[in-house]
Parts: sequence; C-alpha cells; structure tokens
Amino acid sequence: MLKRLQSKSGGILTAADYKKRGFRAVYVLILFILFVAVLTALIPVLWLFLSSFKEAGELTSTPYHLFPKAFDIKKLVEVWNMLNFWQYFLNTIIVVIGAVICSVLFNGLLAYTFAIVKPKGYKIFFALVMASYMIPAITSIVPLYNQIVNMQLINSYIPLWFMFGANAYYLIMFKNYFESLPKALFEAAEMDKCGKFKTFFKIVVPMSRPIIGVVAIFTMTAAWSDFLLPYLILQDESMMTVMVKIYNLQSTMGSVQGFGPDKLLMILTISILPQILIFAIFQKQITGSSAAGAVKE
Amino acid sequence: MKNNLPEERSSLSYKAKRLFKRNWSGWLLMLPGLLLFVFFVWAPLAQNVILSFSETNGFEAAGFNNFENYIRVFEDPMFTKALANTFKYIFWSIIIGFLVPVFLGLLLSEVVHFKSFFRLGIYFPAIVSGIAVVIMWSYLFDPNPGAVLNQILSAMGIPASQFLSNPKLTIPLIVVTMTWRGAGGTVLVYLSALQNIDNSQYEAARMDGAGVCSRIWHVTLPHIKPTIRMLFILQIISVFQVFYEPLVMTSGGPDGASVSLLLLSYQYAFQSFDAGASAAVGVILALIIIALTVVYLRLSTPKKDKISRRWKKYAEKTSK
Repeated sequence: MLKRLQSKSGGILTAADYKKRGFRAVYVLILFILFVAVLTALIPVLWLFLSSFKEAGELTSTPYHLFPKAFDIKKLVEVWNMLNFWQYFLNTIIVVIGAVICSVLFNGLLAYTFAIVKPKGYKIFFALVMASYMIPAITSIVPLYNQIVNMQLINSYIPLWFMFGANAYYLIMFKNYFESLPKALFEAAEMDKCGKFKTFFKIVVPMSRPIIGVVAIFTMTAAWSDFLLPYLILQDESMMTVMVKIYNLQSTMGSVQGFGPDKLLMILTISILPQILIFAIFQKQITGSSAAGAVKE
Repeated sequence: MKNNLPEERSSLSYKAKRLFKRNWSGWLLMLPGLLLFVFFVWAPLAQNVILSFSETNGFEAAGFNNFENYIRVFEDPMFTKALANTFKYIFWSIIIGFLVPVFLGLLLSEVVHFKSFFRLGIYFPAIVSGIAVVIMWSYLFDPNPGAVLNQILSAMGIPASQFLSNPKLTIPLIVVTMTWRGAGGTVLVYLSALQNIDNSQYEAARMDGAGVCSRIWHVTLPHIKPTIRMLFILQIISVFQVFYEPLVMTSGGPDGASVSLLLLSYQYAFQSFDAGASAAVGVILALIIIALTVVYLRLSTPKKDKISRRWKKYAEKTSK
C-alpha cells in the first residue's frame, strides 16, 4: 500500500509530501471520500435490485429491512410472463440495431466529408450542425411529430432508427478521430484514383474501428433508454419499446389488476440489466472515450 | 484555340463546371447525413418559428397571428413559474452539479490506489440513465414514513420528509438525481484535463517551496480553468434541457414548483394541445441555447496561450 504512494512522482502531492504523517492522513481521507462517492453511485441501483425482490407489503416497514425476505427468482419470471415482456424486449432490440447502423453509417459518412473530403460549402453545414448541437429535439417536437405523421410513419421504427443518424455529438467524435488519421493516406488514395466513397469504406472504416465501436456502444445505450419520440410514435401496444411500456405501466398503475409498485420495481431492474451488461463488457472503451468526445469542439 | 483558352477559363460557366467537377462527389457524400439533419433537426426548428407566430388548428399552422402566442405565454402564470424555476435550477446545479465533479476530479487525479475502480464506479450511473432510473429515484424519494430514506432520517433523529412533494425541496432533489447521473462523465473530463498538466510545473512550484494550497491555486486551477469555464457553460445549458426528471418524478408539481421551460413546452403541446404556445416556448429555448452554445464553442476552441495570467505571472516569478 505504502510502496505505491512512495513512488508517486506526479500531481499535486508526491512521495516527498507523503513522508509526512499529516499528508498520509489526507490521503486516507481522499480514499474515503472517493469510496463514499462510488457507494453513492452504486447504492441506488443496488437498492432497486434488492427492493424488486420484495413483496408489496415489504417495501415500507419500521424498522426498515434493506434485504427482501426471500430472493425468489420466480417473481422475475412471473412479472416477465404477466406482461409478456419478450415482445417489448424484442421491439427494443430491433430499435437498437437499426439505430446503431444508422448512427455509425450516417454520422460517420458526414464526419468524413467534413473532416477529409471538405467539398465547397461544407463549412456552412458544419456551423449549422454546431449551432443546433445542444438544442433538445423536444423544443420543436410538434413540427417533428407533424412531419412523421404526414409521412405516415406513426407506429413505425423507421424514424427512430434514422433519428440516430443525425446526432451532432457522435458526428463530432467521428470528425475528431478522422482528423487525427495520417493525411498521407488520403493523398495516396487520391493518387490511386480511389473514389471518395471507396476511400471511406476501404481506408477510413478499417482504420477507425475503435471510434466506430465507441459510437456504437453509446448509441446502443442511448437507443435502449430513448423515450420521448418512441412514446409519441409507437402508439400500438405491440410495437412499444421497454421504456415506453414502463412509462405506461407507471402512469396507469393501480388500474392494472395485480400490478403494484413491487412489480414495477422488478420491471425496472429487468430493464436496466442490459445496460449494465453492456457497461461490464465495454467498460474500458466507455470510460476511455467519454471524456474525449465531450471536450473537443 | 490556344488564344481562346484563358478567356474560357475565366468565364462563369467554366467556373461553375469546374466547381461542380471538383465537388460533386463530396456533395453527394454529404447528402444523406444532411438530409437527416434537415428532417430531424433543422426543418422542425424552422417550422417551429413559423408555428410560434401562427394561429393553430390542432398541430398545424393556420394563418399568421403576430405575437399572440408569445403574449399568451408571457401572461400565463405557469410560464412565470417555469422562468423562476429556471433560475432555481441554475442555482442548485451550480452548487451541486458543478462543484461536485470538480472536487471529485481533483481527488481522483491524486489517487494511486483503486483508481480504475473509482473511475468505473463514479461513471456507472451515466450508463444506466434513462426513464427507468428516473422512476427508480421517484421511489427512493417515497414520502411514506416507512420508506427507505425517511427511515434513515428517523434513525438520525430527523422528522420524516415529504421530499419531492415539498416545494422547497423538489428542485434541489431533482438536481441531485441529475448530478448522480451526470457527474461521472464530467469527472472524467476533469480527470483528463488534470492529467495533461505538465509535471515539471508542479516540480517548479515545489522547488519554490509552494505549499499544497499554493500549488493548487497557482498551478492546478489555472491549467484546468479553460475546462472549468467550458463545463460551467455546459452546466447552464443542461438546465435548459431539463425534462425527464420533472416529467416523471413530479409532472412539474407540486403546483408548478419544479416545472422547467422544456417540460412546459411539452405540456402546452400534449396536455393543453396549444401548439402555438408550445412553439413559442420552444423558440425562446432554442435561442437561449444557441447563444450559450456559441459561448461554449468559443471557450472550447483550444488555444495554446489560453492558460490564465495567474499561472504566467507565477511562472515568471518562480523562474527568476
């Protein structure tokens, strides 16, 4: 434990400082605060997992019991079957797959033209992208909804897929990455009379696997938890995604026979498990690049 | 033939041809992405401006009606509340949402044990965001005296709280949940800024006999000041994006105490079916956000000599 501290050479406090007792106490305090921060991050979700196994009457009690009386996996199965949850899961997976494809393809292609091809006039469009980058879609939800209605795309997944193809955040991540690729590559491609479209698929895509992976992962979790547009568009029960179904369940709770808060909590647990799974698998990619995308313009 | 060439080169049609020849493939490549931006972002924004100056029939515009929508919105007491709430949201998100990540980022950059565990743990909530987690928080804030938080309070001898139903607490608590979700990402941004600080500068300060506070004040803070400034603006922008939390946790209540401008715009459209008023609020919001985005982009364009004067002065002083 101490050895690593004694070899710390960078940062505000170094090994020289840690020779003093007082600073070692400060270090312990730093560790403690960070542990508390991590606990604060994890505990609400842990609480949800534990509570979702409780019976309806167990949710509130004096004195409070954090753990349920029994971890009965049957409850999960029961709730799942009661709501026929496969349907919503499958629907969500369809949305997520389409969203990932659109997100990588369209944002990637547009970022490639902005970063490398640079046809005349691209700057105007890039400025437009940047200006509207932080405006939430909800500010102009009525016209967007009208457009979708007019194109008869209500109860269709098409707008949900393509919406992820117009995402300034992913676009910027791609653009930053493409700009860091060696210029000589593209000059060589031009010499070989390799078309711009071909250059994208033959040179840019193979060299950009890391960033494609990151955008795909981000899109996956974003599409999984996307709510408002799916809620407005997917009006047919059999088309609904998990999040839309959950919102409906929450707002109509009490009117559904035998469906109370305890079962809702179980559904919440089920719905965030896939995200946790994605996080567990891709933790390095996710934490490694979330900073990069946010800072650079 | 030879004499004709320069003349022809300067002619307009030749220029246009050349322009087209050089760029057509690039334009073609840009087209699909731009069409999506038009459909999902720009056209709705433009139509929203028109809608905000229009009489409405259902969700469609039906004739120009001047500033009537805006006047109706300004006269609505709910809009006044939402505006006042915006300032409360800003206040609390600076106190909680802005300061917590700076502090945690600083601590995380100093730690040598369990570093990746801390990083993953703190970032974890960002990945489970979504409506499910917002619903989870509304259950955590259950005002029932037998529910978890009130039991903790009573164990500490504090009387049971109404949490979100208490108009004084509702905005701070919503900001807490937003910070819970957003802090991890911000901490990582600070962490990468802190790790970019050249170690020799700490070294120089140490040689000069600078204490810990002086090192933080003269070296650390000046170097992460651009990041701090940028994330400060982002924090303000995020207040204008507040939507899901009040929608799910409070529906803007109690009695409008947590309604945000964006939620109000949504409620105008889909609860009172007043598309004109919804568009008016939407346009106001879009303008505010564009203005803030311009500031943000100015700040985030990296410039080498942007490190603050305090550091430069200090560097001069120590080098002497």
